[in-house]
Amino acid sequence: MKLNITRQRSFWWLISGLVLLASLIGMILCWQQFRAPLRPGLDFAGGTRLQLVRNCAVADCGSPIEPAEVRSILATQGLETSVIQVSGEEGQSVSVRTRNLDVDEEATLRTALEEAIGPLDSQATQIDSVGPVIGRQLFTSGLLALLVSFAGIVIYLSLRFQLDYAVLAIVALLHDVLVTMGLFAWLGLLLHVEVNSLFIVALLTIVGFSVNDTVVIYDRIRESIRLHPEQHINDLVDDGVNQTLSRSINTTLTTVLTLMAIVLFGGETLKFFALAMIIGFVSGAYSSIFIASTLLAWWRERSGRAIAGLSDTAEPTTGETPQV
Amino acid sequence: MGRQRLLLLLIFGLAIAAIVVISQVPTRLGLDLRGGTQLTLQIQPTEEIPVITDRDMEAVQRVISGRINELGVSETSVQQLGQNQLLVQLPGVSNPEQARRVLGETAQLEFRNQKPNTEQQFQIENQILQQHQVELSLLQRTSDVTSTDSSVTADETDAAGEGDQELQAVQQAIRDSNEAIADLFAPADLTGERLTDAYAQPFNNSNRWEVVIEFNAEGAALFSELSRNIAGTGRSIGIFLDDRLISAPTVDVQYADTGITGGGAVISGNFNAESANDLAIQLRGGALPLPVEVVETRTVGPTLGRDSIERSLYAAIAGLILVLIFMAVYYRLPGILADIALVVYALLTLAVFNLLGVTLTLPGIAGFILSIGIAVDANVLIFERTREELRSGRTLYRSVESGFDRAFSSILDSNVTTLIACVALFWLGAGLVKGFALTLGIGVLLSMFTAITCSRSLLLFTLGMPQFRKPELFCPGISTAPSKS
Repeated sequence: MKLNITRQRSFWWLISGLVLLASLIGMILCWQQFRAPLRPGLDFAGGTRLQLVRNCAVADCGSPIEPAEVRSILATQGLETSVIQVSGEEGQSVSVRTRNLDVDEEATLRTALEEAIGPLDSQATQIDSVGPVIGRQLFTSGLLALLVSFAGIVIYLSLRFQLDYAVLAIVALLHDVLVTMGLFAWLGLLLHVEVNSLFIVALLTIVGFSVNDTVVIYDRIRESIRLHPEQHINDLVDDGVNQTLSRSINTTLTTVLTLMAIVLFGGETLKFFALAMIIGFVSGAYSSIFIASTLLAWWRERSGRAIAGLSDTAEPTTGETPQV
Repeated sequence: MGRQRLLLLLIFGLAIAAIVVISQVPTRLGLDLRGGTQLTLQIQPTEEIPVITDRDMEAVQRVISGRINELGVSETSVQQLGQNQLLVQLPGVSNPEQARRVLGETAQLEFRNQKPNTEQQFQIENQILQQHQVELSLLQRTSDVTSTDSSVTADETDAAGEGDQELQAVQQAIRDSNEAIADLFAPADLTGERLTDAYAQPFNNSNRWEVVIEFNAEGAALFSELSRNIAGTGRSIGIFLDDRLISAPTVDVQYADTGITGGGAVISGNFNAESANDLAIQLRGGALPLPVEVVETRTVGPTLGRDSIERSLYAAIAGLILVLIFMAVYYRLPGILADIALVVYALLTLAVFNLLGVTLTLPGIAGFILSIGIAVDANVLIFERTREELRSGRTLYRSVESGFDRAFSSILDSNVTTLIACVALFWLGAGLVKGFALTLGIGVLLSMFTAITCSRSLLLFTLGMPQFRKPELFCPGISTAPSKS
């Protein structure tokens, strides 16, 4: 199998353009609904979430918990607008998301719920209460960390490669981040999937992986340019991509294998975390092969450096001696 | 070949050491895995104290630690987060509501007047309290040992449960003692707001230390009246922080006429530098009218935590096995050797986690799984390069050598960029992100080490044996003709 990606680049760019457009539309729709590009979870929006499980050792677990019953209890506390979800096998657990409750309100609500639906298992309870300050903090610190790592990556790649490699690697990376965010925007709109702070962790991982992937291909292209300065950049990029293709596929495959294991068997909390990473990694492999490399070829061609041997600003060898 | 054998011995030794470390040093699990309550407290500035300094934070932290000690939980931790937040971790769900209530209060410091004719009773009660406190610290030490041990059997868990009951009994006894002692004192209207400062200083250049306290004008007047009443009677001034007695100095008879005037006083006694400083910090904490707000609480039930840890562990193991099978099938002999290197890698990484005391949380486990992916990637890069060299007709030995050499710059560049991201995340990220960045960063460093030393030595060592010196074991389908080396 030999790919002529630089000749088909408008095709690959079109695909990415359409996916990015869909992502942006999803985020715009989310923005109109939630004032945020994604459906914000508890961590960002603030509030209190109670995840309660009926204790079947003591309680009557004959029938699933009735959401209507839970809702009427919430109404007596002035919390009608809360989100209620009954889940678990046989519907024995219920998750209630409300505005941020203080200690007394939370205690009253729990007692009221316990009276209505029966004793709860305190061993399997999860209660999270997040004030608005924390949400903002999580968001800004995540964003700041992201920007600083971008800057670090650009500096390192400019030193080891050249500035155009570095900038284009970041372009490919933004592509992957946007695709993942777009998918979660749509998941939020259609399936009510919320993003929490783990999603930020996932995005950051995608950043790491995406650059990783791009760097391996760029490394190969750089080597080819050094060995064959007389060849056209399009051919060198095609060669570089084809030489690293089986590596790209195998690495993405093995990483996605472990992540699939988490999606299938992992705990509830980690499922969407792993899904986000799978999307990001697949997109990362795609963008490294079809976007980052074609952009590099296009840019070199446009800036008159298509053939390294001819240009005045010949590729400076960065530290290493070329190997023959 | 001798060097290869030596390196292999070293790696083998490291792997054994790692197994010993994993079995001996307990893995620290985050609250999301073992269950418990985590609270984030925000210290609010006030009109009097618009900027919260490190000294203020230290004082507030001491107050919070004092309150946690009464909650009946072992292995608690209080950490400062940023400029004005404290992160409190309470493993095991004892009573999250109570914790939220107690920790969210503003500290209360009060100077009280000992009631007449309570001298003897005070001594007895104080002795009982001291005794209980010794018991408590002993119990906390032993329970720390049992409950962090990862290999607790059912019997030991029961014993730990009994230990917890004992712990709670002692804590109840301490609460009772504190109440009994508080009963012996009468309020004197002098509270922490009137205390302006407290600090420790050495006493006459000796090893002895004393604590200096300073009041504002109003406080000075109240204190001189209080000290005059007490002076020479043998009774003491009770200094209470959150209704717990933290010091009970007596006042010398020479102040019986005027009391201690001027707004300053010195508490001397059996202080060393540490205990004097501790009292000063407690006093300062009580002097701060800084409101504490609980801005975040997360409570995970213990079975819920155990459930997610088991599932994630199974998922990680299943994923790892799939990767091992894939490598062996696709890359043949080097794949199998890489599998050995990967297992060594996983052992080393877990051992380093335990040694460094890394707290494993769910994102931390994710970081670990991802680092396995990166470790695999390093091997894949090397083997792909080796195959290429073989196909271009080089000898087996040279192909393996240059496979490593040429893949190195890719491995280095891609891992350094990942490390840069890890450093940024660890430096700027909040809790979860930090844990993830740490495990991923450690994983990346170790994966480079094992890919370069372990995989390489294993491969070169295997090539030393003639029965393995066959290119088709490295690259199926290659013509064997040009590779007789």
